Amino acid sequence: MSALADQMAASLGRRKATWEMADPDGAGRAGARWMADAGVVRAVLADDPLVERVGLAAALRAVGIDVLWWPVALGRREILGLEGPGDVCGVTVPALAVAERGTLVLEASPGHGRGIDVTSRHHVALLPADRIVGTLGEALARTYAAGRPTPSAVSLVSGPSRSSDIEKISTLGAHGSLTEHVVIIR
Amino acid sequence: MSSRRRRAPGGVTYDDVTGTLRERTLTALRDPGLAANLRSAGTAWAEQREVMDRDYGFNEMRDRARDIRRANIRALPALLTQLQHRVRENGGTVVRAADAAEACRYIVGLARARGVGMVAKSKSMATEEIKLNDALEDAGLEVVETDLGEWILQLAHEHPTHIIAPAIHLNKEEVAALFRAESNGDVPDDREGLVAHARMRLREKFAQAEMGISGVNLAVAATGTVCIVENEGNIRLVTSQPRIHVAVMGMERVVADWDEAAHILQVLPMAAIGYDAANYVNLISGPRREGEADGPEEFHLVIVDGGRGALRGSEFEEALSCIRCGACLYSCPMWRNVGGQTYGSPYSGPIGAVITPLLEGPSSPGSRDLPFMSSVCGACGDACPVGIPLQDLLVKARARSRSPATTKAGWAFRLWSLLWRRGLTYRLTIVGWRLGLRIRGRGGWVHRLPGPGRAWTSVRDLPSRWPPRR
Ligand code: SF4
Repeated sequence: MSALADQMAASLGRRKATWEMADPDGAGRAGARWMADAGVVRAVLADDPLVERVGLAAALRAVGIDVLWWPVALGRREILGLEGPGDVCGVTVPALAVAERGTLVLEASPGHGRGIDVTSRHHVALLPADRIVGTLGEALARTYAAGRPTPSAVSLVSGPSRSSDIEKISTLGAHGSLTEHVVIIR
Repeated sequence: MSSRRRRAPGGVTYDDVTGTLRERTLTALRDPGLAANLRSAGTAWAEQREVMDRDYGFNEMRDRARDIRRANIRALPALLTQLQHRVRENGGTVVRAADAAEACRYIVGLARARGVGMVAKSKSMATEEIKLNDALEDAGLEVVETDLGEWILQLAHEHPTHIIAPAIHLNKEEVAALFRAESNGDVPDDREGLVAHARMRLREKFAQAEMGISGVNLAVAATGTVCIVENEGNIRLVTSQPRIHVAVMGMERVVADWDEAAHILQVLPMAAIGYDAANYVNLISGPRREGEADGPEEFHLVIVDGGRGALRGSEFEEALSCIRCGACLYSCPMWRNVGGQTYGSPYSGPIGAVITPLLEGPSSPGSRDLPFMSSVCGACGDACPVGIPLQDLLVKARARSRSPATTKAGWAFRLWSLLWRRGLTYRLTIVGWRLGLRIRGRGGWVHRLPGPGRAWTSVRDLPSRWPPRR
């Protein structure tokens, strides 16, 4: 399991994402510290029991970051960052992750919007190490296993948004988040 | 080919292309900026592809990709039926469109019925093929291309040059000028600034659009899921922000299950851009479910035949396994010199030269000459991740072409083939040629051939004896 976590970390580096390893009781504080350093003023949290368990909301409030839970009661313009603060961070809890490619598997559900990460300028993912699998094939086989209800939407996220459409040079932050920080929880 | 061959009204090629293929080729060859852009793009692609093979054994992955896609095409009717059932079970609507007109009529009708005023689109070859933007705009709708490259082209009133990287022929100064004209304001000059500017301008559009339209890279029959691959994140917004999501796919883009999908989804970015993963892969299985706060309320999947069905069982069936990665374009010495716009079709390069005339019919003036845009060097077949023998298909497409250039000279080729099929007459023509060259040659070289040979000697000389004199 720790071999997969190490491989995941190495792959995330290749994807221009950042990462850190944390214990369950330190993960909330680690995420909050990273957001404070990035200048985040508001966090939109996936409504997943894990977020509460690692104490993220309390840690965020302690450093003065505004906390909103999904689903947020905001208008579409504010969700898209056209109104309100620009330095928003979406916090996701991946259902799985792919070590070989550094890919996060985000499943849509009532507590986890399709657009939490992509509408925000920053993206922090809380990833329990035991959810990391080796290959994309394994991840998709589990996600769409027979008998399991098919999620309405799954996003495979492999690094921050980028575009090479201007002179074929990769530039970050095209439409989705400019940053991606993964807290791997041991 | 079956008798079901049909030409969609207006065809696949763009209505507004100017000049003949030959004229467009010459114009492109005289554009030094274009040549530089295409060359650097081609080189970067080739280097990354080597990395993929070294680090991931890409060349072996191709064999399996080929087998998967061949089996998909053989089982196409059953897979499409299954896909249709599953999407409906997931709460989506499926429409099978026989041609471009039918597909456009459905989507325009839907937009009208739902009172849609603005459509946010993501890059899609299928919607280019059916000329959906024209249909929507004719109906009075505002259509915004949200992929950065496509948006730039929309502002420049140009068509895409490449399946994957649409605007590689424009440099950043040209892009900045377009952005300045669109926003009537200050626009930064650096690449980061330009990308950030476009991000906010396009978010304004996402805030208003009631309908999102995307293409489909792959559909998975087993669960009724469409897979849409991208790097920018605009497709995630197209498929999550507007009230309605319409996905348009060519009928051949279906795989059986997730085992196959996982393989093709990995092969695609490796072949296309030489990276081991795209940034975002959207796996959409219908509209939002009960209790979900975002995602579209309606999901419509439009499956377009457009002449594809008739290719099954024909000598061109293999062309249906294409996953639209663009590798054959980059590998092609023709494409690398003239770019995609010269072809006048949304599908350019070797695969475009094969399928455009197949979808339009062999007599279509817009595409019947396209199969000749090749030196038949075979680089495309080598590059193709699903093992389509493009060079063979190009030759077959030439044979089928009803171009005046070939039909007029048809008797000459038939005579030539008659003569060269027998040893005696073959040798006689050779002796005749040698004699002719000796007579015409001056100082060991022929500078000008008569008749149809004139074009050949207009840029080079022919030795009149072998070995040639220095
Ligand atoms: S023919 Fe092959 S190389 Fe060309 S776009 Fe299709 S899959 Fe890619």
